[in-house]
Amino acid sequence: MLEMRGIKKAYGTVQANRGIDLDVAAGQIVGLLGENGSGKSTLMKLLFGVVSADAGTIRFKDKPLSGHGPAQAMAAGLGMIHQHFTLVEAMSVTENVMLGAPGSSPWLSPRETASRIRQESATYGLDIDPDAMIGDLPHGRRQRVEIVKAILRGADLLILDEPTSNLSPPEVEGLLGIMARLRDQGRAIVFISHKLDEVIAICSEVVVLRDGAVAGTCRVEGATRAGLARMMVGRDMPPPIAREATAAGRNVLHVGQMALTERGVERLAPISFSLRAGEILAIAGIDGNGQTELAECLAGLRLPTAGGIDLDGHDITLASVGERTELGMAYIPVDRATMSLVTGMSVSDNLALRDFDKPPLSRGGYLARSYFAERAREMSQRFAIKASGLDIAARTLSGGNQQKIVLAREIGRHPAVMIAHQPVWGLDPGATHFVIEQILALRAAGGAIIYISSSLEEVMTLGDRIAVMQGGRLSIPIDRDTVDLTQIGLMMAGDDSLIHGAAA
Amino acid sequence: MTILSNIDTVNNEPPPRKVTFMKAASVLRRLLAGTATRATLAVALALLVTAVLILISGKNPLLAYAALLKGAFGSIDRIAFGFNKSTPYILAGLGVALCFRANVINIGAEGQIAVGGIGATAVALSGLALPGLLLMPLALLAGVVCGAAWSGLAAFVSLKRGVHEVLCTLLLNFVGVLLVSEMLHGKLGEPGAGFPQSPLLPRAIWLPKLVAGTDLHIGIVLAVIATVACHILFWRTTFGFRLRIMGASRDAARYVGISSIRQTMRVMLIAGGLAGLAGGVEVLGVHYRLIEGFSAGFGFNAVGVALLASLNPLAVLPAGLFIGFLEAGALAMQREVGVPSSLVFVIQGLTMVFVLCALGLRGERSKV
Repeated sequence: MLEMRGIKKAYGTVQANRGIDLDVAAGQIVGLLGENGSGKSTLMKLLFGVVSADAGTIRFKDKPLSGHGPAQAMAAGLGMIHQHFTLVEAMSVTENVMLGAPGSSPWLSPRETASRIRQESATYGLDIDPDAMIGDLPHGRRQRVEIVKAILRGADLLILDEPTSNLSPPEVEGLLGIMARLRDQGRAIVFISHKLDEVIAICSEVVVLRDGAVAGTCRVEGATRAGLARMMVGRDMPPPIAREATAAGRNVLHVGQMALTERGVERLAPISFSLRAGEILAIAGIDGNGQTELAECLAGLRLPTAGGIDLDGHDITLASVGERTELGMAYIPVDRATMSLVTGMSVSDNLALRDFDKPPLSRGGYLARSYFAERAREMSQRFAIKASGLDIAARTLSGGNQQKIVLAREIGRHPAVMIAHQPVWGLDPGATHFVIEQILALRAAGGAIIYISSSLEEVMTLGDRIAVMQGGRLSIPIDRDTVDLTQIGLMMAGDDSLIHGAAA
Repeated sequence: MTILSNIDTVNNEPPPRKVTFMKAASVLRRLLAGTATRATLAVALALLVTAVLILISGKNPLLAYAALLKGAFGSIDRIAFGFNKSTPYILAGLGVALCFRANVINIGAEGQIAVGGIGATAVALSGLALPGLLLMPLALLAGVVCGAAWSGLAAFVSLKRGVHEVLCTLLLNFVGVLLVSEMLHGKLGEPGAGFPQSPLLPRAIWLPKLVAGTDLHIGIVLAVIATVACHILFWRTTFGFRLRIMGASRDAARYVGISSIRQTMRVMLIAGGLAGLAGGVEVLGVHYRLIEGFSAGFGFNAVGVALLASLNPLAVLPAGLFIGFLEAGALAMQREVGVPSSLVFVIQGLTMVFVLCALGLRGERSKV
């Protein structure tokens, strides 16, 4: 039914898809597996016409599909269920289905639409009431509305982009059942997921992407979770950057039963760990499993609702960001564009974000501009920041040089504890190498580091101890010498038994 | 937020294949580089378009503009009038510019001016046995405090109850303006006057004249001082640094540990204080009494001045003078050429549109 051949797409210098082939037959569910940034979403966006490919051909139902937008893709019989739904909460199910539906008549036919919804709902066991308001429906039910919407628009091939990520276990069961019925009716499904169990349970064939290329394709019979996990992660690890074996020092950070609940939703289950000076604790995990919440609780951007944090003998559970900074806490958040940098401000201003209100950068509330410039000169030399001037806006710098500003500011003051969340995200190899080097240098100098990443490769390269975060829970950290790659991959992919086992 | 994000455009470089286009664009870009150049260009374009409108109405645009110029600068008295008109726009515009820079959309200058005027009048008429030289600054201070209280109220409601600050400041405008009427029909009103106004203030506390024999009062000096103070505050102090971070990104402010709530409150108090000062200056320097509707249109013009200055405190001074003198000349234009003075609002409006377009043309947000 679908043939994609040699699909290539680059965003700037990043090659998101480098020649991907994908085949899907009618009445088949194909699983698309891969880590973040492996090119799954890009491939599906290309198929659905959200972005256009640099090279490659798409044939759908024996007709070429090129230069199309989402409207044409829908007309051709493609349906996409995004992670974030496109429903209007203040409207009923029927109204949402009619919204933007292609039709020749300018008149809406709510009664007919409602009866068609009832009919399809019965066929596929969707259990949807056409008159219900979207705002009253739980997440899983809204997803079914999206599915019925796609079906009523004549979708023969459905793309489900990580459909189970926000579902409860019974809802997942229900969704898998619906997918099976859709398949039995002769529709095809592309199922994007991180979760190996679900993929094995429902798919007939699995395509694994890694670094924008197909790492492997296999029938699901005979595939093992371990095999898939290894394929997803990459068999061969690159030679690690030279790291000195330093003896870890005393405990500097202790987190005890720290938990976070926001608006009744548990973001972090009670988390406990200790961190020693000169040690890197690497935390692996798929994005959105509580890493940001963990980092922000430690850095003081959110306050935990239970438990405590102790930094070098000081209870900092409720301390402000400024107090934590004073005590030697540094934080490199994942988002450079809006968080760790003010891109409209100059390089020297950005270097001063942390301590502009302390002498010698300011006295009595008045900024000492000459010292801003002096320190910026010194920092930019030490961290090799390439900029045509220190007064130019940070946004004009390359991503690597922007991250060097952040590094200079956060590492330059010799923090006792540093939290680095995906610090090499989106950087080219050279800049990546520089960042890693600096982090290792901080470790050698006795800094304690928490390194959060969804890339197993980075985690394995850097971590003295490695833990996995999944669903707001943190496994017990394992020493790098005794760690089992496959096991980590499985834990990342949501194998609860292992996390429970580790935490028990 | 919306106003700021309108200025904000994505910095997309055009594809490299169209070299000639790029060249032309870069020349144009350099031409438009300076804020002053861009503002001047915008004014010129606005005058040009308005000239067409005047032509359509069957009048000679050159004559109209000559009358406008003469009306604005034709005599010492005219110039004094222009400066006096500009003063409240500059004062209130400074506060609006600071707020917008911090991404706090304060459009409540009008109400803050009105309440500031009430405060100044109340002190001026309080009958305190103080020499004029002491009572006058005290009255102005009362204006500042009342204006700040009014903006502080808006900020409090906005921060505490989560009501958008645009709504709070906008709605309090109506309350503030009507509060003036209420006062004039009650405590502060002049008994027996046919018009809702307060009694004439004692001559001793009128703002001193800058040039003897003209109406030019010292308000413009206060405006210049306030401009310089705001410039220093914004670019040279830790407070301004926090404002710049917060205005550029709330997430960055959170990351650095800046309390947006405290900053919002402070910048709103400053803006309200400046607007309240403008109200006091109007009362003590122009009308010598509180009059119903004395603040009409000032709030809108303050926003316009701030935008015209591309939110740069120092540029608020020329922007305020531009709007002030334009209005000062408008009546003369109507009188002498018969062009309706409302066309001046067309010029104002077009100038702002062109300034905002010029900001967009630069392809990036102004530096913070």
